[in-house]
Amino acid sequence: MSGKVVLENISKWYGEGDTFVKAVDQVSLHVNKGEFIAIMGPSGSGKSTLLSIMGALLSPSEGRFLLDNQDVTKLTKNEMAQVRLEKIGFIFQSSNLVSFLSVRDQLLLVSKLAGKKEKEAKQKSDQLLERMGLFHRRNYYPEQLSGGEKQRVAIARAWMNDPELILADEPTASLDSKRGRDIVEMIAKEVKLRGKSAIMVTHDERVLDLCDRVWKIKDGQLSEHVTAHV
Amino acid sequence: MFLALREIKYSKLRFLLIGIIMILITWLVFLISGLANGLSSENASSFQNIEATHFIVQPNADKKLSRSRISEDKWAEIQKLSSPGGVTPFGQKMLSIVKQGTDHKIDIAVFATDANGFLAPDVIEGKKLRNDAKNEVVVDQSLSEKGIHIGDWIQDPDTDQKWQVVGFTRGQMYSHSPVVFMNLHDWQTIAMRQTAETTTYYNAISVRMDSSQINVLQSKVKDIDIISKEDALQNIPGYKEEQSTLNMMMVFLFVIASFVQAVFFYVITLQKTSMYGVLKAIGANTAKLTRSLVVQMLFIIALVIMCSIGLSYGAQALISPSVPFQLEIGTMVLFSGLFFVVSIIGSLLSLYQILKIDAVEAIGRVD
Repeated sequence: MSGKVVLENISKWYGEGDTFVKAVDQVSLHVNKGEFIAIMGPSGSGKSTLLSIMGALLSPSEGRFLLDNQDVTKLTKNEMAQVRLEKIGFIFQSSNLVSFLSVRDQLLLVSKLAGKKEKEAKQKSDQLLERMGLFHRRNYYPEQLSGGEKQRVAIARAWMNDPELILADEPTASLDSKRGRDIVEMIAKEVKLRGKSAIMVTHDERVLDLCDRVWKIKDGQLSEHVTAHV
Repeated sequence: MFLALREIKYSKLRFLLIGIIMILITWLVFLISGLANGLSSENASSFQNIEATHFIVQPNADKKLSRSRISEDKWAEIQKLSSPGGVTPFGQKMLSIVKQGTDHKIDIAVFATDANGFLAPDVIEGKKLRNDAKNEVVVDQSLSEKGIHIGDWIQDPDTDQKWQVVGFTRGQMYSHSPVVFMNLHDWQTIAMRQTAETTTYYNAISVRMDSSQINVLQSKVKDIDIISKEDALQNIPGYKEEQSTLNMMMVFLFVIASFVQAVFFYVITLQKTSMYGVLKAIGANTAKLTRSLVVQMLFIIALVIMCSIGLSYGAQALISPSVPFQLEIGTMVLFSGLFFVVSIIGSLLSLYQILKIDAVEAIGRVD
């Protein structure tokens, strides 16, 4: 069955001769609608490169990446930016909010970049903030928020343009286990609710039970991981 | 706009500080330009307002009217070859005079001309200059600040020559001194008494002609040099030096202002590298980020220029009238335009930084 996110024999290598490094090696992956998968791996395993390729930030050296039936590998830089804007929602390791924007403006920025109508964007951002339990914080700046709250704002921001794919880069890294679990639960809930796909790169084994499938990456090669939780 | 203005709102202090620095620098540029204008008009308003197009001077006078001597014979020769009303003789001498009955010396510039010619001053108060009157002068009104009024006699303490002030004119300064206009008859006594010459002379012949007539004159009359009004102005003693000093200051201030602004934006752009990475990752393209930076810069420079213009006019109102200070709208517009241009050039450094940022950096690390 063809999914929302399809990776076909993706490879990425850097350098030549002695400096030749194969970061991602023949990776194939299908993620279906409403599916939340986790990718685990030690540092240096190629998981960030893989995430960058799936995030339309890097072009693979080889292979095909289809997102919502569109071949992303053949796009120009500007077209890739457009794909990121419309089809991908990022949740970064350390939330990476814009320091001078209020919580609400963080969300409005995304729709502004996409050129959407302001009135609809405002309604949407208010709904999202409500669901994330952040409505009372909408006029706060990032420096006034706790780590968990920042990460929730980042999740809300990721959903703002109604993306097909959510990519989370170690979203729990800067949080304690309780808050980390809350955050991952929120991502999982939204994915199921909206019928979108989400891929999370993580070290955190405590949240794997919230994912539908867990993959392991080692030396650039991906393999499905079977755990007791799943 | 969205990002640009919100950042300014959030980082008020930072932008306020750079804004104040920029305001002070642009204000200084406007003040110096006002001073340059003021000094130039105090130095040479008589020449800026003069209706002549050219001056005929002696070839070896180095274009300086004060060094040039045109003899009566030469004047007759020139007059014969020119249309009537197109040329008029011009005598000029710097003198120190006193108001009769006092011993306080005042520097003046004597301009001698045909009272019916085109160099004759427009009188704003009192009587006009006449060719048939003896020892009558029309003076620049700034002499009234020195206590000289219509009807007063002024005299040259060295020669005891005396003249009666019969009228005031306006905007007639030469080499930082007020101009005293006299007719050619009175000029002869000055020219002949104060030099060893036995016949009278003029410093120059003022000309009001188009260039084809000038060329004819130049080819027919030997031993003359015809210089433009602008040349004559530039060669007023001290004029060029004064203006070039002030212009150099302004050029330096422009360079400093553009560097200050460029460095400021460069540093805050460097600080925001990771933010730009994130914005690129979530789909902002370089064009949008560039627009944001340029809007921010133009917004600030526009505010800065408005404040500086306001402050400059404020300063003009407060500065005492004796200080040569004059703001000109044309110069202000030109300099404001220049500030916009230098700030856009200055922003190129920061634009390069934004271009260089790779969205992949937002992922934290690349294996």
